[in-house]
Amino acid sequence: MSNLPASTYLSGCAPLFLLLLLHLAFARPLFPLPSKTKNEEKRPIQTFRPYNIAHRGSNGEIPEETADAYLRAIEEGADFVETDILASKDGALICFHDVTLDDTTDIAKHKEFANRRRTYEVEWFNVTGWFVVDFTLEELKRLRVKQRFSFRDQQYNGMFSIITFEEFISIALDADRTVGIYPEIKDPVFINKHVRWADGKKFEDKFVDTLLKYGYKGQYMSDNWMKQPLFIQSFAPTSIVHVSKLIDSPKVFLIDDISVRTQDTNQSYWEITSDDYLAYIGKYVVGLGPWKDTIVPAAENYLMPPSDLVARAHAHNLQVHPYTYRNENQFLHFNFHQDPYAEYDFWINTVGVDGMFTDFTGTLHRYQELTSPHRKDETANSLLVKISQMISAYEGI
Amino acid sequence: MYERERAQAWVVSSFDSRGSRPCKSARVVSSVKWRARHPEFDSRYRGLTYIPLEYSSRRNAYAYIALAVAAPPSTPPNPTVASTTIAPAENGTIPLYVHTHPPSPCSGDLLACRFVAAVFLAAVASRGVAARPLVAWGDDSDRAPLQTSRPFNIAHRGSNGELPEETAAAYARAIDEGADFIEADVEATKDGHLVCFHDTTLDDVTDVADHPEFASRRRTLEVQWANVTGFFITDFTLAELKTLRTKQRWDFRDKSHNGISPIITFEEFIDIALNAKRVVGIYPEMKNPVFMNKHVQWADGKKYEDKFIATLKKYGYGGKYMSPEWRAKPVFIQSFAPTSLVHAANLTDSPLVFLIDDVTVRTEDTNQSYDEITSGEYMDYMKKYVVGIGPWKDTVVPPTGDNQLATPTDLVAMAHARGLQVHPYTYRNENKFLHFNFRQDPYAEYDYWINGVGVDGLFTDFPASLRRFQEWTAKKQN
Repeated sequence: MSNLPASTYLSGCAPLFLLLLLHLAFARPLFPLPSKTKNEEKRPIQTFRPYNIAHRGSNGEIPEETADAYLRAIEEGADFVETDILASKDGALICFHDVTLDDTTDIAKHKEFANRRRTYEVEWFNVTGWFVVDFTLEELKRLRVKQRFSFRDQQYNGMFSIITFEEFISIALDADRTVGIYPEIKDPVFINKHVRWADGKKFEDKFVDTLLKYGYKGQYMSDNWMKQPLFIQSFAPTSIVHVSKLIDSPKVFLIDDISVRTQDTNQSYWEITSDDYLAYIGKYVVGLGPWKDTIVPAAENYLMPPSDLVARAHAHNLQVHPYTYRNENQFLHFNFHQDPYAEYDFWINTVGVDGMFTDFTGTLHRYQELTSPHRKDETANSLLVKISQMISAYEGI
Repeated sequence: MYERERAQAWVVSSFDSRGSRPCKSARVVSSVKWRARHPEFDSRYRGLTYIPLEYSSRRNAYAYIALAVAAPPSTPPNPTVASTTIAPAENGTIPLYVHTHPPSPCSGDLLACRFVAAVFLAAVASRGVAARPLVAWGDDSDRAPLQTSRPFNIAHRGSNGELPEETAAAYARAIDEGADFIEADVEATKDGHLVCFHDTTLDDVTDVADHPEFASRRRTLEVQWANVTGFFITDFTLAELKTLRTKQRWDFRDKSHNGISPIITFEEFIDIALNAKRVVGIYPEMKNPVFMNKHVQWADGKKYEDKFIATLKKYGYGGKYMSPEWRAKPVFIQSFAPTSLVHAANLTDSPLVFLIDDVTVRTEDTNQSYDEITSGEYMDYMKKYVVGIGPWKDTVVPPTGDNQLATPTDLVAMAHARGLQVHPYTYRNENKFLHFNFRQDPYAEYDYWINGVGVDGLFTDFPASLRRFQEWTAKKQN
């Protein structure tokens, strides 16, 4: 039993407590972080039905391309979370769709940036506004994101900030199941014109560097791809060809409306959807991402006979991931009677697409779960039965 | 006479067992007598040419009924030919080209008309039992019964998300899409006919503005405590209303059917339900009874509610909720006016539903407030007369200022505690009608109301969507 008074006992222990405090502050947590757990433990992505691609996150509910929008999409069952990558003035890669900040941020309220409003040419047109490439990352982080469409939920306006490409990747890797990413090399011609990187690298190089840093690689359906699924997308064919030399992950060639020409090669819709071109680009990509109203055009808000784009793409062994599916009735053609599930039914079962970019991940997930749920008890035997049934249909021919 | 008279009057025409025989003028002349004996046919087929064929009385069979006449063909057949030719058409009906020799004293229509009829020849004439249709329409027991295991899918004004409301096309579409009940608002015309129409004015859903002959009838009347200006339905006879054409009410819905369908009568609405291939219930509303009784008088001194119930009884609707008679012909009678419901309860034992409007609206007959008619005491009183309530859904679960759901009221619990069903209105797919909690997903709304709130029926503008939701989630449970 010590005869020392309490105060000296305590003062003697002070350095020990200080050391303990420092140790605790710098030690890592005792439990492993989700992104550090073995990937085999995570539920894999489904590959038996069309991919549910959360277009800019669950942006029907939460402002687009924010951490919360992506977290909500993952919660709602997305197979992939999609984003558009642009670059800031100081070369940081950020998740943002427009080249201007006007429509989805509170930039107009920031008086200190009022003098940066200007006009540039973007993809053959003049655009006026506050350009992403005129702001450093730190400045962009001061802004707050808002919901683009006035008819969607405004309650999260002003709460969230713009996130970086790396933050986006972390969200996907930290999920408790395997979630793929679907980043876009967005407006590469514009970005390369306005942003320079110190090491002489270009936008596409920096884009791929980030992916490689987080361990993304491997061809479509390879083991590594199944653990970290990835599709790289772009409207610019030369960017796709360029990154093909740097990374072997699957790429998707995006196709805009019939009136729009490609930003780098100035080619028309008809040229880039011709058979020869599909054969050429098919060497670099695994699929196409067309605007859905070019696959099945509409007149007076009724569907017209479909074009043959899906059939030809499939003939070239290319997947088709059209964009973008939205629940609001102003985006639904009358054939669907204002029912988004009817639209999903048509595109999945009648047109036969392989993935869909949707603003409403929850709705698409609910549709797929109700009509084509995971088959838990499919055994090899039942598959054999199905195969024999298919063959027997041809017997006697 | 014939209990199972169907819409469009597919008719039986009598022929003797030898087959064809000429329809001679004598039969046509007798049409006047026959018409006098069957006044209900007269009013039903007003506007259609019909010629009854009276068989010989020695056969001991009524052997006649009116023929609904389709549009005359462009080239009239040779009037001197004296024979009937019968050849089956693709859809199984038998067109009759009837020629008379010499030409009948009847109108030119007779000569030039093509009659479409389901005809059974031999077996028919020998039957000889009165008050039974000559044609076997098919047993009622063959028809799939009404489902009663899950909340009712009530097609509000028909499938009016797709087609103009309360038209035959909208109701037919709703039945195709799987609705359990088709709903209509019944109002009265100037000459006392009951028609299916929602508004008291014709302005919003018809082309009355394009009819210069009616231009002078626009006026202002008081409807449910407020002044309304327009072309009032009670200022038009049925014949005049039938010259109008309906249009889609909402700007953002499909307008390709505008100007095609006319307004239909209550009886035509009932025919559509009874003619369906499965058992489909009807859900008619005694609409604006105070206004109707004020502006329309019936010759026999009867009131609007009496006429309404009489029409239902004429078609054999009756029986308590879930009784065998009710299951064969399901019906719910609805109204916002409690005194009309009490009056109806004295005339029929069909189930009644008490509709409740928004919190600011007072009842049109008793001038009571929302709080009064949703109180426990009032529900105990109404429980003696009705089997359920039909509230506006935003009073059951009110929305906040920024379009989110606020805390639900206890209205459903109070109703269920008294054994009253709850059928809220109205569910619509368009995102402007969906509160943000549902993420612009109409199926999320159905999920919440069916599984969260626990309602017993839903008035929807989109019966196809509700049907799909119920079918898919039922499969999932299995």
